[in-house]
Order: sequence, then C-alpha cells, then structure tokens
Amino acid sequence: MSFHHLDQYATISSPVTRAVPAVRVLGTATLACGAALLPLGAWVPLLVLFAVVVLVGGLARLPLTAVLARMSGPAVFVLLASAGLLFLVPGEPVARLGPVAVSDAGFERFTFVLGRAVVALGAAVILVSTTTFPQLLQAFRQLRMPNVVTTALALAYRLVYLLVDEMERLQRAAKSRNAGAGRATRRRLLVSVTAAGLSRAFARGERTHRAMLARGYRGEAESLDATRWELRQSLMLGTMVLFVASIVVLAHARP
Amino acid sequence: MAHIPDGFLSAPVIVGTTAVSAIALSIAVRRSRLRLEEREAPLLGAATAFVFAAQMLNFPLGAGTSAHLLGAVLVAVLVGPWSGMLVMFAVLLVQSLLFQDGGIAALGANTLNVAVIAVGVGFLLYRWVLALVGAGSRRRVVAAGVAAFLSANFVGIAVAVELAVSDTVPLIPALVAVGGGHLLVGIGEGVLTGAILAMLLRSRPELVTTGATTSAAVRGWAYSAALASAVLAVVAVYMASARPDVLEGAAERLGIADSAGSYLTAPFANYVAPVGGAWIAAVLGVGLIFLVVWIFARVGARRRAQV
Repeated sequence: MSFHHLDQYATISSPVTRAVPAVRVLGTATLACGAALLPLGAWVPLLVLFAVVVLVGGLARLPLTAVLARMSGPAVFVLLASAGLLFLVPGEPVARLGPVAVSDAGFERFTFVLGRAVVALGAAVILVSTTTFPQLLQAFRQLRMPNVVTTALALAYRLVYLLVDEMERLQRAAKSRNAGAGRATRRRLLVSVTAAGLSRAFARGERTHRAMLARGYRGEAESLDATRWELRQSLMLGTMVLFVASIVVLAHARP
Repeated sequence: MAHIPDGFLSAPVIVGTTAVSAIALSIAVRRSRLRLEEREAPLLGAATAFVFAAQMLNFPLGAGTSAHLLGAVLVAVLVGPWSGMLVMFAVLLVQSLLFQDGGIAALGANTLNVAVIAVGVGFLLYRWVLALVGAGSRRRVVAAGVAAFLSANFVGIAVAVELAVSDTVPLIPALVAVGGGHLLVGIGEGVLTGAILAMLLRSRPELVTTGATTSAAVRGWAYSAALASAVLAVVAVYMASARPDVLEGAAERLGIADSAGSYLTAPFANYVAPVGGAWIAAVLGVGLIFLVVWIFARVGARRRAQV
C-alpha cells in the first residue's frame, strides 16, 4: 500500500512546484475559501475563480485528464451529498422525479453548491498533485502549526503504510483460516484484526520514538529541504489574496 | 461521519466554526502536552496512523452495505480527550488536503464536529456513564459503546444545525436526513468501539488507562446530572405541543385527516394516561425508555463478556 502515486506530477518543474509549499497551501485555501464565501447565485464571480483554478492548473503543467480523474471520486460524493437539496429546499416545483418534486430554489442551490465545490476541489487537486507529503509537512511547520500535530502527522506517515500492510496481511491470514465462515465470524475476525492493528501501532510508535531519541530527537523535527520564502512569492500570494477578496466583496456588494 | 464538502456552508458559519475549533485546538495542544509529556509524539503518531488504517477496513453489515470505524471515542479513551482532538484534527487535515474528503474551507466546521464534538462530548458521555455504573472492564466497554453511539448522533445534529444556519437546507429536513443517517452510523460506531475496546482490554489492558476510577464526588455529580436529565425529559414530554405536526397539518389541509385509522389502541394515546393525565404519561414514558436502554446495556455487557 502506498500513496506515492499521488506524487507523480510533483517533480514536474513549473512556477507552481517552484513556489514554497506554504504559499501553495495558502493559495489553495484562498481559492477554496473565496468560492465558499460567495453569495448564492453569484455565478460570474464563481466563473472568475474557476478561471483562476484552470490558469494555475495550466501553470503547473498538469494533464487535464489526471486532474479530472482525481476530481471524479470526491465530485461524485459531493454530487450525492448535494442531491438532497433538490427536494429538501422549499420552493415552486419545476419538475417531478417519481413521488418527489424538484423546487426552483432547490435546483438553484444544488447547482451553485456544486459550482463552489468544483472550484474548491480543483484547487485541492492541484495542491495535492504538485506537493508531496513531506512538503505539506514543511508547509504546516512554516505556517506555525503546533509541533505536536506536525510530528504526529510525520510519524503517522511513516507508520501508516506498514500498518495498513500489516492489517491486510492479518485479514488475509484470518480469511484463509476461516474460509466459508459466515458473516458474523467475518465481523468478529475484522474486529480482532483492528484491535491487533491498534495494539501493534502503539508498540511500533513507541519503538520508533525510542529510535528517534537515540538519534538525538529533542521534540523538533528538522528538515533537510528547507525552502525559504522569497519576496516574489509573497507578492504573488498577496496579489492572489487581494484579487479573491475583492471578487468576494464585489459579489456581496452587488444589488 | 459526515465530512462537509466545500460549498455547503455560509461565510458566518465558516468563520464561526473555524474560530471555535481554533480555540478548542489551542487548549488541546497545551493540555495534551501536560498529560502525555515526552510520550506525546509517539502516542499521537501511532493513534493517527491507526485511525487512517482503521477507516480503510470495511465491516460487512448485510444487504450489500458496509461501515468503517470512525474512532473518535476509541481514541479519546486511549490517549485522552485533548490528545484525541489533535489526532482527529490531524486525520481531518490530511483527508481534506490529500483525499478531498471534506472541504478545505469547511475544515473548521468538520474539526468542530469530528474533533471537538465527537471526541469531547463522546469522552464526557463515556465518563458520565462510567461514573453511573462503575469502572469494571465490562462497564468500560458498555460506556465506550454508548458514548460512541451518542457522540455520532451529536455530530449529526451539529451538521444539521450548521447546514440550517447556513440557509442551505431547512432545519427539520436537515435533522431528518443527516440526523437519521447518523443514527445508523452511531449504532455501527457504538458496536465497533465496544468490540475493539473489549479485545484491547483482554490483550493489552495497560493501553486503556483513561477513566479507570471515579471518585464519590464525580459519581454524585453524575447521578445529579442523570436525575436532572430525567426531570427535563419529563417536563419536555409534558409540555409537548398539542398542535398537529407537519404530516398531520398537511393531511388536514388536504382534507384526508379523517381517513386516518389505527390497528392498535395505544395505552397513552396523545400523551395522556388513562389515570393521572399528561404528567403520569410523561413520567411513565421516560421511565420506560430508561428501562429499555438499561436492559440493552446489561445484555450488551453480558454478551461482550462472553466473546
């Protein structure tokens, strides 16, 4: 089990991958928050933000098919989650789907929620395609996230592959010894596997921590890849924040 | 548990939930360091990795459906509530950024629901049930299961309220759709949390140290809170509105209310007992619910002890 397939475009040299990871994270958060803060029905500002996402994706030299493929899974979830809006929001009925009516207000809310989600998803997919997990951790540290959270994430990143592999092996072994067993037995086996996984995760975490202490760890994880903030990147980020903020303000100020 | 995607929440809700989550997490960082000291990093790293891994294992429920562990109460019981909040926040952060499971702008709301409410309220409920029933192994399993079930329902209510305040969906349909879904999720979560905790208590009991003992004062407070809840429930049932609900109202407007019939005559129809009226109906109703829940808890504790 590995998440390395997520990093296959992170090595492509582009203005986006050359930016400091913290700038990438803040840029993504700016676009996602900008889309989320737009008032209902502000289609033109939403299209402008979508154009910014497409532009950043183009600058990052990401293949369109890869971006669409990575967006498709979460987009289906958003589609399913927002489908209820069609029927739950009160309004004038415009169509009927079996016994339930689709309201005009529900349709408007459904389409706009989808639009906002697509902009945020696009920004997130560009971030994850251009940024490796260690770079994300570096970004969190640069953004002054509590040390305990970044250290826990770093340790979890080291442990999670091993743990998932181990739990899959335990599950296979349990299944092979209980071939043909009923659903109740399978459930009990899965509970045993999960409890064993938890117990082993704690044991492995303690061993890893002892090894880290032996190598000189004193509560601060040092990174060899310490990319520094440059004035040019700060200016680029500041411009983007101002641009998105002005779009949101204008969208709220319209009559 | 519901991870709200981007696009569903309004600006005030995004800002408000982010502020509350930030305050809660900053307290959690300080309290977690005080409690765990140098063991903090390995414990939280292992717990974060476990929650990731456990959420990838699907348990068959039947009828082609499956569920996975969410782990909020389990983690709180193992590493404490403050550290548990940090673990769930770390999981949410990676899920939203790497897997787009939950929105980036909605991270504050999701943190409030899954890290603060599910872990914090879940742990309080766990301690409350423990204080009521005592702190034996079987009782800890039942307490964790009940707390996991209830905390999932609290999350469902929180999500519904956030969606309603954002003016995305009216409150009642949101409560029915999201709250109803979390009722089912809560049952699975309660069973899985109890079952995994029971296995851990047998194989590595030293891992489960949280809430091992309760003082007499804590137990007194717990019983007082239980009594207050019962009184509140009785008053709420007594003061229930006599007006028709949404379905009855619609039936009246359509002129089909008279066609309603019943196959069984309820003993306390319209919340009125044959003797004593509404007060007796309220007291008996609340008492009956407590009795049913108590029987379920006892049966659950016995079965888990036999596993």
